[in-house]
Amino acid sequence: MSTLRHQGVAEGGWWQHRRRGSATLRGVSLTDLPDGFVAVVKRDCPTCTLVAPLLVDLTDVLGRGPDSFTVVSQDDPSFPDHLASIVDDSDLDLSYRLGIETVPTLLRIEQGVETARIVGWSRDQWRELTGLDDLGEGMPDHRPGCGSLTLDPTRADELAVRFRGSSLRSRRVELAALEDEMEALFDRGWTDGLPVVPPTPVRVLRMLEGTDRAPDDIVTIVPPDLVECSVEKIAVNAVMAGCRPEYLPVVLAAVEAACTDEFNMHGLLATTYFSGPVVMVNGPITTAIGMNSGVNALGQGNRANATIGRALQLTIRNVGGGRPGGIDRATLGNPGKYTFCFAEDEAGSPWVPMSVERGFAVDQSTVTLFAGEGPRGIVDQLSRDPESLSRSLAAGLRSVAHPKLALAFDAVLVVSPEHARVFREAGWDRARLRQELDEILTLDGDEIARGAGGITEGMPESLRGVTVPKFRDGGLLIIHAGGGAGLFSSVIGGWMSGRGGSQPTTWPIS
Amino acid sequence: MHDIADLEGRGVPGVFLASTEFIDAAQAQADAIGFQPARVFVPHPIQDRTDDEMRQLADDAVAEVIAALTSAG
Amino acid sequence: MNETTTVLDPTGERHPVERQRLPRPASLDGMTIGLLDISKPRGDVFLDHFEERLVAQGLRVERFRKPTFTKPAPIDLRHEISTRCDVVIEALAD
Repeated sequence: MSTLRHQGVAEGGWWQHRRRGSATLRGVSLTDLPDGFVAVVKRDCPTCTLVAPLLVDLTDVLGRGPDSFTVVSQDDPSFPDHLASIVDDSDLDLSYRLGIETVPTLLRIEQGVETARIVGWSRDQWRELTGLDDLGEGMPDHRPGCGSLTLDPTRADELAVRFRGSSLRSRRVELAALEDEMEALFDRGWTDGLPVVPPTPVRVLRMLEGTDRAPDDIVTIVPPDLVECSVEKIAVNAVMAGCRPEYLPVVLAAVEAACTDEFNMHGLLATTYFSGPVVMVNGPITTAIGMNSGVNALGQGNRANATIGRALQLTIRNVGGGRPGGIDRATLGNPGKYTFCFAEDEAGSPWVPMSVERGFAVDQSTVTLFAGEGPRGIVDQLSRDPESLSRSLAAGLRSVAHPKLALAFDAVLVVSPEHARVFREAGWDRARLRQELDEILTLDGDEIARGAGGITEGMPESLRGVTVPKFRDGGLLIIHAGGGAGLFSSVIGGWMSGRGGSQPTTWPIS
Repeated sequence: MHDIADLEGRGVPGVFLASTEFIDAAQAQADAIGFQPARVFVPHPIQDRTDDEMRQLADDAVAEVIAALTSAG
Repeated sequence: MNETTTVLDPTGERHPVERQRLPRPASLDGMTIGLLDISKPRGDVFLDHFEERLVAQGLRVERFRKPTFTKPAPIDLRHEISTRCDVVIEALAD
C-alpha cells in the first residue's frame, strides 16, 4: 500500500529533526481508535470540503461492515455536515499523537496499529485503500491537503509543552508575579553579568530539536561541583546564551571537550591566570550555521560565534557551580571569558584545516578547546618573504607569558589571509611554517635564565649553555582566520600545559 | 518588605515588623517578590494605643526580633 | 499583575530554588543595628523605646526614616543603611 508523504511546513533545516523527534516521542497507542479507517479533517480546508461528501458515504458504506469509519475534526465538530458522529479533536490531542501534518489524512487501523496512511486526496489511492473501486467518481484525480492545525504556529507551542514538557527533567522555577523576568535571572545569579534569555519550557523544547540526542543523556561531569550534566541542562543554558537550535550540537561538543581530564576545566576555573576556554570550530557545520571566520572573526556581531562561546561558559558556571569570587580566582581574567568562539577560514586557507592536522577527516566537524587569554596583535605590513614574516610572527609569539619563559605555556597563532598569502606564494604548508617558527623560537638558555638581562624572572640557571624551545611539542596551534584586508595576525597565549595544566582538546561534533 | 528584600541583597540581614493585621498582606507581598523576609508581628491595633502601651509592645518584641537577627535564635 | 513565568533551572540544582535569607550572625555584639522607620504614625514611639532597649544591652543603634510608607525607601537611604549597618529592623507596618 503506497502512501504519499506531504512535504509539510518547512521551518528551516532542523525541521527534519522535529519530525523524527516527534514520531519517536509519541509512542502512539491507537487502542482508543476502533479498527477500520480514520479520516482527520478540518472545516477550514478546501480539500477537506471537497471530500466531505465522500466521508459521509464512506461512513455509511463501510460502517455496515466489520470496519468502522471514524471522522476526526480538528476545528469544528459539526464538520463534515450531515454526519452524525464526529470525533471532536479541537484540543488536537489525537491529531498530535497520530502525527497528523496534513488534512485530510486517511489512516487504516488494524488491531490497534496504523498500517497505512494517505495524505491529501488521491482518488486512486483512496480507492485502493478502501477497496471501493468507484469511490470519488467525477471528482478530481488528486488534490493536496492543507496544513494540520497541530502545525499552526499559534498552537504548536502549547502542544509541545503539553506533550513533551514532561520529558524535561530540570527543576521548574516560578518567577514571582512582581518579578521582572530579566531581573529575576540576575537575582538568582544565573547570568554572566549580561542579561540572558529566560529559559521557558517552550524555548528549551525548541532548542532540544537541534539534536537527536535524548534530553536526559548525560554528556559529562562538570567541575568544580562534579555535577552530571545532561543534554537538557546544556540546552537550558544555550537558550539563556541566545543560541539557535542548530547551534546546539556545537555547544554539546564544546562542553564535552571542556570537561575532559585532558582540557582540565577544573584547573582552568581555579587558576589566577587570565585564561578561559576558547572554542575554535572546523568543518561543514561552520557554514551550515553561519559562523564567522572572516572579517572581525574574533570580535562581536555574529550570533553563532557569540552565543556558542557564551553557552559553554554559562553551562560551566551554572551547572558546575564555578563562579568568580568563588572558585574563579583570576587576577585579571580577560573579556574572552564572556565568549570566545570563532571558525577557521578553511576555504581561503593555504593549509589543510587545523582539525585535519589534528587527525580528523575533512568532513568531520570539530571543536578545538584551548585555554586562552585575550588575543594580541602582530603587525607586519612590509614582509614579502616568508622568512621575514616568520620572524615577525615569532617575535609576537616569543612574549607569550614572558619572553624569558619557555615550554610551560602554549599558544594559538591566528594567521590572517593577507599574511597567509605570503606563505601560499612561497609554497609553505603549515608544517614548513611551524618548522621555521620552531627554529627561530629556539631560545638561548643564557638569555632566558633568571637574572639574565636584569630580569629576575626566567628559566632555571641550570639551562644556561643549552637551547630551549619556546613551545613544547604540540604546544603551538596555527589557525587561519580573518578578513581579507589587513596585514595583521594574532597570538592567543595559553595557560600552562603539562600535568596540572590544560591540553588543547579537539572533539567531534555529532 | 521590598526594603528588607533590597537590603538583604546588599548584604544586610533584616527583619520586618508589623501588626498582626498585616500577616496575610505580608505573605502576599513576599510571595509576589519571590522572597520570604524574616518577620515579627505585634498585636493589633497600633493607632489608638497610648505611648505606654506602645512601649510595652516594643518590650515584648525585643527578644523575638533579636532571635530573627541571629543564628542562635 | 503579570502572570507568573516558569523557567527551567540552569544550575546543577545543588541549592534551593527560592531566594534564601542571608545567614545571620551568631550574636549582635559589636554590630551596628539599623532601625528604619517606615513613617506610619506611632511607629516612632515604638522605635524610640526599642532603641532604648537595645542600647541598654550595650548594642549600637543607628536611626533612619523613609519619607513615606507608601513607596520603597529611596535608593540613597538604602545605600546609606547598607554601608553603616550590619543588620536592619524595619518597623512598624499596620
